[in-house]
Amino acid sequence: MIALALVPVVATALLSGCSDGGITHQEVIVTGSTTLLPIAEVAGEMYAEGHEGTSILVSGLGSSAGIESVSKGSSDIGTSSRELKEEEFDLGLDDTPVAFDAIAVIVNPDNPVTGLTTEEVRAIFAGEITNWREVGGPDMEIGLVNRDEASGTREAFHKIVMGDSLFDRGAVVLPGTGQVRAVVAQVEGAIGYISLGFVNEEVRAIAIDGIEPSEATVVSGEYPVQRVLHFFTEGEMSDATADYIEYVLSPDVQDAIVRDAGFIPITAKEGLGG
Amino acid sequence: MAEQEQMPQPARSGTLKMMSRATYIREALLKNTFLVCAIVAVAAVALIFVFTMWRGWPVVQEPGLADFLGGTEFSSSLDLYGILPLVSGTLVITLGALLLGAPLAIGTAVFLSEIASPQMRRIVRPAVEMLAGVPSVVYGFFGLVIVRPIVAEMTGGMGFGTLTASLILAVMIVPTIATLTEDALGSVPPGIREASYAMGATTWQTIHKVLLPAARIGIIDATILGMGRAIGETMAVVMVAGNAPQFFKGLGEPIATITSQIVIDMSYASGTHRTALFGMAIILFLISMGLVALVRALSRLNEKRA
Repeated sequence: MIALALVPVVATALLSGCSDGGITHQEVIVTGSTTLLPIAEVAGEMYAEGHEGTSILVSGLGSSAGIESVSKGSSDIGTSSRELKEEEFDLGLDDTPVAFDAIAVIVNPDNPVTGLTTEEVRAIFAGEITNWREVGGPDMEIGLVNRDEASGTREAFHKIVMGDSLFDRGAVVLPGTGQVRAVVAQVEGAIGYISLGFVNEEVRAIAIDGIEPSEATVVSGEYPVQRVLHFFTEGEMSDATADYIEYVLSPDVQDAIVRDAGFIPITAKEGLGG
Repeated sequence: MAEQEQMPQPARSGTLKMMSRATYIREALLKNTFLVCAIVAVAAVALIFVFTMWRGWPVVQEPGLADFLGGTEFSSSLDLYGILPLVSGTLVITLGALLLGAPLAIGTAVFLSEIASPQMRRIVRPAVEMLAGVPSVVYGFFGLVIVRPIVAEMTGGMGFGTLTASLILAVMIVPTIATLTEDALGSVPPGIREASYAMGATTWQTIHKVLLPAARIGIIDATILGMGRAIGETMAVVMVAGNAPQFFKGLGEPIATITSQIVIDMSYASGTHRTALFGMAIILFLISMGLVALVRALSRLNEKRA
């Protein structure tokens, strides 16, 4: 399918190359969020395959580094898993949202608790609530599963849910989404959080403030633990940059690569008429 | 020494009469090749040490030696780099592994060297040696899937922590300790063993009163080297320890070690955080240097007594 879809792209690229009188080398430099790395990188590789003479150079140094780098002109696209901060508003960056990311709070399927408020989730992860009884569940100790400090998911979860509270230092720290999911699937009293795209039947994503996490509630903005992933650019874009961003927003990338990476396509919003 | 002096010195260039030029060159080439091998090994250790010191030394200024060695909180997002909980976690897990693993390993060695029939030995010894060849990630996975739920049953909680990590490490250090202990028992002069049996001592009396005391220093050596392996082990520990940088709270509570913290943090650490990781590497270096020095001192003691 993908190969077939690329054929016309390759043909166009070759034709346009001819009309220009030879292929000139172009580079698009993409810097920023590690969360966005899989999307930007895979899309970049696929784009470069179809566009000879164009290379997409992707690096992940963190959202802030991406924003700084694009505003200084040292990269063409700054990727960010967070909104601009107040002091970044007057940098004059143009925002292209490329995907939604929702964080699901997951529990063991045997756990009868189906929903928590944001405040309860905060208190649980801060170590203030330690038994499921306190949130209307059975008398069972809560097993906290946290991500390591390198995790963008942990950072986002901290920002959205925890506010000024600190994570309980006694929580089990696991270095990957898959491990968090596996442990929550095995331990009856466990609770953890992972990107919505990675929730499967082994674990159960609970409702937050009465809203079930799903593509619909994320896109409509109802589900509270979510964020938008951005591409920031400054001023006039080069043709290659504009073309690459257009490619990232195309159904090929949105429906395949974005979903594979565990995120929700930004185009899903248009589908709902929002 | 005396013997060497009496022997004629091997002919050097110029006075070469006994060897053809081709043989001489081949000999020189071989000699230098082995010299280079030895130099590379030494240089590798020296370079790693210098590099680690160079990158880790700034820890003295930032966060400062007192905050680094004496601090009780380790959190990169809060800019706190106190390694005391990690050092204590390393020691607690290692101690647990030795308490569980050393008797098991020494027992295995005694069995292999004194009790087992040759056929039995042919089965048990390769099995023990194979334990050393199992990749550590496999131990970790086994610990996560099989041992962790059992520990969770015993201690409550999720089963991540000291007990699970110590159990896994105990199995991992068995080959090191067992092999070296068997060597130590094997190097006890046969006359001592025969004398003991000749006096009418039973097998158990011979092992317990004669062989184990005679091989004592070798067994301590073996245990120290096993300890070195337990301290340095990373992958398996990361998977089962729970990695919470807190002080020991109970056998079933999560805990972190120096190595597990380094491997979790190294992919994204920068600035002071990175310096702190190299500082932790220096600590590990010093610990293993100390252990090696201890082993050397003990062997010297052993030689003197023998």
